[in-house]
Amino acid sequence: MFGNLDKLHTGWSSGKPTGTLQPEEKMAILEVIQRNELLETAERQRVGRLVERVEKIKQRAAECGPRYCRLCGQSFGLLGPSKLICDDCQKPVCSKCSIELHSRETTGTRDIWLCKICSETREMWKKTGAWFFKGIPKYEIPQQRTSSSRQSFRDSKLRQEKPVKLGIKCTDTSSEEEDESTTEVDAQKHSTAVLNGRSSYCSAFNVGGNRKHPLVNRQNSATDTQSNQTNYDWETASISTTNRNGRRGSVTSSMSMSETSSANSSNGMGCYREPCFGWLELSVNYSEADHTLDCSLLRARDLPTMDVTGHADPFCKTNIITPYGSKQQKWFATKTVHKTTNPEFNEKVRFLGVEPDELINGSMLYVVILDDDRYGHDFLGAAKINLAPIYSSGPHRMTVPLDVEDNFCVEAAMSGPWLFGQILIALCYNTKRRSLIVRIDKCTNLMAKDKNGFSDPFVKLQMRPDSQKKKFKSSIKWRTLNPIFNEEFAFETRPNDLDKQLLLLTVWDKDLGKSNDFLGSLILGGNSKGRRLKQWKDCIRMPDCFHEQWHCLSGEHIPN
Amino acid sequence: MAKTYDYLFKLLLIGDSGVGKTCILFRFSEDAFNTTFISTIGIDFKIRTIELDGKKIKLQICTTAYYRGAMGIMLVYDITQEKSFENIKNWIRNIEENASADVEKMLLGNKCELNEKRQVTKERGEQLAVEYGIKFMETSAKASVNVEEAFFTLASDIKAKMEKRMDVNNPPKGGHQLRATEPARKADSWLSRCSLL
Repeated sequence: MFGNLDKLHTGWSSGKPTGTLQPEEKMAILEVIQRNELLETAERQRVGRLVERVEKIKQRAAECGPRYCRLCGQSFGLLGPSKLICDDCQKPVCSKCSIELHSRETTGTRDIWLCKICSETREMWKKTGAWFFKGIPKYEIPQQRTSSSRQSFRDSKLRQEKPVKLGIKCTDTSSEEEDESTTEVDAQKHSTAVLNGRSSYCSAFNVGGNRKHPLVNRQNSATDTQSNQTNYDWETASISTTNRNGRRGSVTSSMSMSETSSANSSNGMGCYREPCFGWLELSVNYSEADHTLDCSLLRARDLPTMDVTGHADPFCKTNIITPYGSKQQKWFATKTVHKTTNPEFNEKVRFLGVEPDELINGSMLYVVILDDDRYGHDFLGAAKINLAPIYSSGPHRMTVPLDVEDNFCVEAAMSGPWLFGQILIALCYNTKRRSLIVRIDKCTNLMAKDKNGFSDPFVKLQMRPDSQKKKFKSSIKWRTLNPIFNEEFAFETRPNDLDKQLLLLTVWDKDLGKSNDFLGSLILGGNSKGRRLKQWKDCIRMPDCFHEQWHCLSGEHIPN
Repeated sequence: MAKTYDYLFKLLLIGDSGVGKTCILFRFSEDAFNTTFISTIGIDFKIRTIELDGKKIKLQICTTAYYRGAMGIMLVYDITQEKSFENIKNWIRNIEENASADVEKMLLGNKCELNEKRQVTKERGEQLAVEYGIKFMETSAKASVNVEEAFFTLASDIKAKMEKRMDVNNPPKGGHQLRATEPARKADSWLSRCSLL
């Protein structure tokens, strides 16, 4: 409010002397500001309750396809309710879960149906003032009343390192008890637990959490002081992330109130409703005084699915792309939101040392959404935001459609510590031999396990379950980190069985006179994700030809 | 727990010094009047919750040219001060530069109980309001004339705008046809094609 005090001299205060404020005047102004803050806090909470209400309805919605009601999941037909189409979301809905509305339009009134989600969303837009501000104002989600103390404790703990997810069941009870016994959470200790894969959280979600832990990254880039510095700053920024409180955003992106989108929608909807890659909602603010660019990644919607259950494990990587390439060596990564295609990220990223002319000269903010998997990060969508308008106009909140993959997405996906290297393999189901042919082409960037700075790699293969119980070993390639094998192995199996089988690959360093060192592992099968699932499915679908694919190796041992 | 309300409208009173903005605010929020002139220090606001069509509307009314977030603006002049009326044009320009384009405006000629000292006729006020396409009222905070009416009018205009906006701005799609056959949703990724096997 102080920022506008200079304007006051044009109004009723123009007759007053323009000196410094008297103490009592300052007090009076501060009192008003405090009163205003109280009011705004109450309003943020009220808006939060309204937003939460709509989110809850959305969570409860069945959403099981065009033949069923969007909300209650009842199937339409002779016995079931008749099918209506919601005017806003264009999804089918039954009469019980929708309301009829007389819509006033330029051409007169007409009757429309709105599903409960859309009608509640409209109501929320009215009640929160979003209709006027063209977006949901700042809000706070109310704390849950049940076990509030526990919740707040967990919140403080979660802020230390774990991804906070509202819609996900945390099955990490054991680690939680362990933590609650000690009042002070030792982040260092906890992170080592994650590193060793002992944290039940990691195993519960089946992720290689060790790869992406900020502490690991920090150790790896410790040599680079500048990137170390930025890492640190980002980390503190993410700790202060508004996980549940004070976040900003709109619940529905399809319902944009801006004039431009309404113009678009009138000449044909669809152009802004369902793009192929979904949406990302974010806000960007540039502070010229501090030379910092703040970017809040709020949420994404309608991301592609990555596994057979129709889910993905999305997270964002972001960087500034200048005309000379990516600005930060290391891409900032958010936490992963598991088992969803509509993730809530709510994370803030701060870029330091961003010069004004960098913004004007065609720099872009680049956000790549990737699927988190231990054998590679698959592409889910990319958002490119031109920063020139951000520089001139202050805080910007926007919902951007996600774009296709390009070189920077590959850079983002491959940045970060893929310590165990990559492997190129080709799969082919041979119908004559009735067997799966696995060709090990080559590996790159393997770990060095010998004192000479190299390894002596070879690959072990097996299928599981396998009636033949066959195990194969490739030849040993001496003194190299980038071995080329080009060896083929055949597993007898039927195409139908292939769907339930797993191909297990492990790379080892041959040591004479002592046990071999583990270099990395890869599992392929019907429950793989992303590119690995695609390769597996392609191999079944199109037999008698080779399907080649690069994969990242994981550091996880495969038990016998 | 604070009183619940359905909508929060932020309103603004602007105009030259001494036209009676604070008095109008005081009359509306506390139904009181104070003759001594105390210039407002910096900023002040008052709150009153009103009811319109069964909806509780909380009005936060500021006496500052703090435009951000304001949904409605009362432009106030003093009918006994020609200068304050002339300045309304400057205030409107100020609004156009700073406030949201959607903001609802209204013109008030205050101190209408002082008819003998009148310098601005009611017709001139009406004329100006027509020029800008906004509503006009003559008020008296002292005699409690039209203050209540003015705020209720502005609030219901904002509410009407909101309802209109929420109904019209949605894509018109030729009625709520009950489509017998919904076209099968396109496979949205290669995964769904694979799973057909």
